[in-house]
Amino acid sequence: MNAMLDVSDSAPLLSPPAAPLAADGLIKQYDHDSVLKGVSLTVEPGTVLGLIGRNGAGKSTLIRAMLGLIEPDAGTATVWGEPALRMGDAAKQRLGYVPQQPEAMAWLQVGEMLDFIGRFYPRWNAAYVDATLERWQLPRNRLLAKLSPGERQRVAIIRALASQPELLVLDEPASALDPVGRRELLREIASRAGDSGTTVLFSTHIVSDLERVASHVAFLHAGRLLLHSELDSLKERNLRLHVPEAVAAQLRDDVPGEVSRRPHPYGGLSITVLRGEDAPWPDLVQVPGVRAEALPLEDLFIEVSA
Amino acid sequence: MDASLLSIQPNAPEPLYRQITGQIRRLVAGGQLRAGQALPSVREVAGLHAINPMTVSRAYSQLEAEGLLVRLRGKGMVVADLATPPDLAARWALVDPALDALARHARELELPADALLDRLKTRLKEDLP
Repeated sequence: MNAMLDVSDSAPLLSPPAAPLAADGLIKQYDHDSVLKGVSLTVEPGTVLGLIGRNGAGKSTLIRAMLGLIEPDAGTATVWGEPALRMGDAAKQRLGYVPQQPEAMAWLQVGEMLDFIGRFYPRWNAAYVDATLERWQLPRNRLLAKLSPGERQRVAIIRALASQPELLVLDEPASALDPVGRRELLREIASRAGDSGTTVLFSTHIVSDLERVASHVAFLHAGRLLLHSELDSLKERNLRLHVPEAVAAQLRDDVPGEVSRRPHPYGGLSITVLRGEDAPWPDLVQVPGVRAEALPLEDLFIEVSA
Repeated sequence: MDASLLSIQPNAPEPLYRQITGQIRRLVAGGQLRAGQALPSVREVAGLHAINPMTVSRAYSQLEAEGLLVRLRGKGMVVADLATPPDLAARWALVDPALDALARHARELELPADALLDRLKTRLKEDLP
């Protein structure tokens, strides 16, 4: 009896903290068009997850469903373990979200809007707002309606970062920024993650942005999650094998971890493999005449979605 | 050492932490980084290249575990006092993978060996960044 009590008493200490974001089997259709076809994805605390995919892959829909901004047709989404659709104020205060098209309170000035929003956040950093507005040359007294898309995105980023969120979610944050602005934003995301342990989810279609700051990567293609991995591990686990004709002729089955196979332009086969976290390379790598090289991430995505 | 001496190529197949460890190993082996010399802080490297500080930490920790770097209070990471300076064999070992890749490419493209050597010699005379 005592032993049982002990177990139940200590159970809460042993259970890991709820993930900042978790989606399970999300399905969403718009006008009979499946945008999400059963997506499960967990963002672990302290990680920087880059969500990559082409335009129309479903990235924005996934983010909005994970935050409870739209209701999925099936599946569940939680934020720190709470159902996303019924997120309480406490969770909202710990969350910073930069939508792809920031809502405009067009009649307000930049400074007015930020001061107004700041009152809802207990950890609002007004000094950060002032310093960043100045650094990004955004006048406080400019009407939001008069901002360019890039400036509006910068204001939305300042708004999200000034609340010092524990979880930062950015939907295509770089889409309206020039290269310098993008670099500044990446630097900011990276330093938040590194210095404050902020958990970050950001979507992008620019692979090199993801490669700079992400610790993890999720690849969404046509409503399905095709890859979800630690970034460094993903780079170390893939190889493209150039298999000469003589060897290719002997190949009967799929190679372990095979992702794609196509004829090589100069004869033989080109086979891309992605081995498991602890799996060895397939034997084919050692066969004389077979050449192997790691793929740039961008090429790996193309192979995976082929 | 200045953080800008590291070159970061996000698009390369090699993970960023390995780009950093590889370059620091070569700088030490080549004598550009000497025992006792300080490395730029994690924050400096991450800030300059707009990369995740955890990536830089990972690279530094790995080199520390290998004994190439030591963490000194107040100075951060510095190059360790190696018992013996890296010998010629160790320096060759660092450049061999690049030579293997070059040889492979040249064979694939069926480039003549003499012309390849000439091009290499020309490059060795130039000051490369």
